Amino acid sequence: MSNFREAQSKAHPNKSNTLLSALICVLIFNIGMQIWLLYTALNNALGKHTRIAWPAFIGSLILFLIGFFWLYFIPMGKDKNQQPGKNKYR
Amino acid sequence: MADETNPAPHWQTDFPIERTEATAVSRRDFARYLCLVSGGLAAGSGFVALKAQLAPPAEVVGEHLVCKVNDVPTGGTHAFVIAGSTIPYILIRLESGEWRAYEQKCTHLSCAVYYKPGTGQIECPCHNGFFDARTGEPIAGPPPRPLPSLEVVVKGEDIYVKAFRHE
Ligand code: FES
Repeated sequence: MSNFREAQSKAHPNKSNTLLSALICVLIFNIGMQIWLLYTALNNALGKHTRIAWPAFIGSLILFLIGFFWLYFIPMGKDKNQQPGKNKYR
Repeated sequence: MADETNPAPHWQTDFPIERTEATAVSRRDFARYLCLVSGGLAAGSGFVALKAQLAPPAEVVGEHLVCKVNDVPTGGTHAFVIAGSTIPYILIRLESGEWRAYEQKCTHLSCAVYYKPGTGQIECPCHNGFFDARTGEPIAGPPPRPLPSLEVVVKGEDIYVKAFRHE
């Protein structure tokens, strides 16, 4: 099997570090937008402008799903490279 | 596989001996927590939308007698509630002679607001919010929305309130 990925990770150990930071930044940005959406929807719903509530919810849900599937890209570091069956509880 | 030694069983990672290990949150976990918060916010938005759709706040139906014209001096106010509801309202007789009726609950955090005679402003003492007494619009401070208002109808000596017609 190719050891390209392993060798790359060894040669550039900062890579997954940077990736994880970027990922977290995007998540925080999404949450910022969701807070804004929730605030706007609540404020308008209480002021009897209820029509914005559903679009705000759909937007918020989409942002959540983006964040959820975003987690797939979390670099798992060394743990992932372990041979199957070994230290699987780590 | 059975004879393999497992250096870190579940309980050891969940309840580590070292305190620092127990409190440390890895950035991976932090990212997952962020996602959890995101889900919570989405659920909150859904709740707001559902509530707005299924349980809109009840409207005032019909006209209600509040008091006589002579009960309220110019620049004075009169507090009242509508029968069958607990929402406090204030009736204001502005210096210009106009009548206004507003919900007495600040739109910020529901403190009781009061009319400041002579200023044309309604003040909320809790966080110094101010509303325009003619329109109910917030003019200063934290309140984000205008005060909900009722239409005042003067019939001879009697003062009635009713809900504004919505478009
Ligand atoms: S409750 Fe009225 S300003 Fe905060």
